[in-house]
Amino acid sequence: MGTRDTREIYGGSLGVGRFLRERGLRGTIAYLREHGVRGAVENAREDGRSLLGELRGISVAYLLLAPTLLVSAVFLYYPALEALELSFHQTLFFGGERTWVGLGNYETLLSSSAYHESVAITIAFAATVVVGVMTISLIVSFLLYEVDWGQSGYLIAAIWPYALPPAVAGIVFLFLIHPSIGTLTAVIEGATGLEVDWFSNGRQAFFVVAIAAIWKQLGYNVIFTVAALNNVPATLKEAAELDGIGRWSRLVRIYVPLISPTLLFLVVMNTIYAFFGTFAFIDLMTQGGPGGATNIMIFDLYRNAFEFNNHGLASAQSVVLFAVVSVLMYVQLRFSDERVHYGA
Amino acid sequence: MSRHSNTNANANASTSANASTGGESRRFPIDLERGLPALDGATLRAHAGLLLAVSLMALPLVIAALISFGTRATFTSVSELSLETAAQNYHDVLFRYDMGQYMLNSLLMSVIVVIGKLAVSLLAALAIVYYRFPFKNAVFGVVLLTLMLPVPVRIVPLFQLAADLGWANSFAALTIPYLASATTVFLLRQHFLSIPASLVESAKLDGVGPLRFLAFVLIPMSKGMIAGVSVIMFIYSWNQYLWPLLIVDDQSMQVAQVGIRLLQGVVESGDIAWPLMMAGSIVTLVPPLAVLIIFRKPLLETFGVE
Repeated sequence: MGTRDTREIYGGSLGVGRFLRERGLRGTIAYLREHGVRGAVENAREDGRSLLGELRGISVAYLLLAPTLLVSAVFLYYPALEALELSFHQTLFFGGERTWVGLGNYETLLSSSAYHESVAITIAFAATVVVGVMTISLIVSFLLYEVDWGQSGYLIAAIWPYALPPAVAGIVFLFLIHPSIGTLTAVIEGATGLEVDWFSNGRQAFFVVAIAAIWKQLGYNVIFTVAALNNVPATLKEAAELDGIGRWSRLVRIYVPLISPTLLFLVVMNTIYAFFGTFAFIDLMTQGGPGGATNIMIFDLYRNAFEFNNHGLASAQSVVLFAVVSVLMYVQLRFSDERVHYGA
Repeated sequence: MSRHSNTNANANASTSANASTGGESRRFPIDLERGLPALDGATLRAHAGLLLAVSLMALPLVIAALISFGTRATFTSVSELSLETAAQNYHDVLFRYDMGQYMLNSLLMSVIVVIGKLAVSLLAALAIVYYRFPFKNAVFGVVLLTLMLPVPVRIVPLFQLAADLGWANSFAALTIPYLASATTVFLLRQHFLSIPASLVESAKLDGVGPLRFLAFVLIPMSKGMIAGVSVIMFIYSWNQYLWPLLIVDDQSMQVAQVGIRLLQGVVESGDIAWPLMMAGSIVTLVPPLAVLIIFRKPLLETFGVE
């Protein structure tokens, strides 16, 4: 992007001088041969009123950008700034009356043991989801990469959860492992000797929700991991196979380092998913319970905002979540370029 | 450009892999010519592992589908399931419990979001790639930084804003806040940058206006990419939960994902009708899953898989 991009064909004239500089003499002659003198005259004439043309081009460019910028300003930036402002206030009467409390809401959060617990649970939840989904999808993707037929069939059978609505995943798991009537409950109890009672056992509830959340996120991870594996140069693949080392040590020692930029990207995206994309699971499966065991930050925020109408405190929690997403995005931009937040 | 070299690398990788494994394990010439699979132990184990993995991934849905064919939450033999019961369940869930209405709302919301996002983002990407204007990098930065503002970060003011605008229970609230898309603008920009500069230069010099250029040059050259991002947008929009839950309280305007929650409330007030719940879940999954399966090729290309 350092040099002038010749794609910038609008927004003012290209200019004869620049045209010559960019195409060179031979390019210009070729152009003249192709488009004739008339094209060149037109080009030069445009250069003659370049200021007007330039201004017109600039306004057209901003006109084209206007819808995106307008929606961003009104529905993204303004509410975000408003949340920051609200976080310094205490609100009464459903937000109708505001009192400045400075950092009061943040102090409340800092001293609230329930909030501390929610933060700790969210971190543990994100770690469980990230490790679980990436381990499974790495293994599945590597097997997919290694087999030499049936790949497209396996691929679609492994990526479909990308389309799975979180509410569906949550309700299906709520049923499957329902303590009294779940189809898989007896199977799990028989296999592990545990009593499935996650409606009252916080630890179990945490893992049931995490497994449902992992299930939904597998498709997305397989897509990116397979894409990364496919980009490994053929020569490396051959060398790895000739080395005669086992499949799993090949995966860990050769492929994982090679695709580590994608894996880092996925760590960031899965963390964002665990923080922001799992609300439906909590809402449908546990309501944050039992005893706050699945009360992740976004659910706590939702409750404060819309059940207890504590808009100031909820906005302070929004600002904390903004800090989280900023750090994650920074990590991603800093350490793995060329990627973007697909699917948001 | 990079996609080209990737495909080449893939093609090389798979042919050479076929050749080497085939050559070592079997000596039949047909193996090399037709590329028949070499079934050694490691390959068999890989297939077994994959079959196990994809079966486990499908298992919850298979059970859910089976339950939706019966009348109770448990069944001891397949004879308890029947097509008539299934027809009754799906009919009830769609029409008696309004999932049909919720699905229509979801569909309308998702279609509006896809078309609107695409239109708005195509214009923005056109400006960013093909125009010279001051503060271009700053503007692009402003668009990209919206990635850091997911709904929970602005939930309370967004809710108040939509309420102040009188948008509660409206498609405006369900769709307009989603129209600005950093992802879509970014992907389209990347794609436009991969279109040869020589082509667009002659377009300008031939005096083609920007909108005609977009309609007759850029869009036809971006069909695959546009299909891919449309699938991403459709699935993303269909799977929204928190925002519709908040901004819609009139049941006739509700979307399918939240409809499952309402279904839970409705049926649980009487007998727990799990077959109906599972039927509701299956119908909610069908549209995004169908879109994924039908458009898997452009989707995977957009993600850089093929």
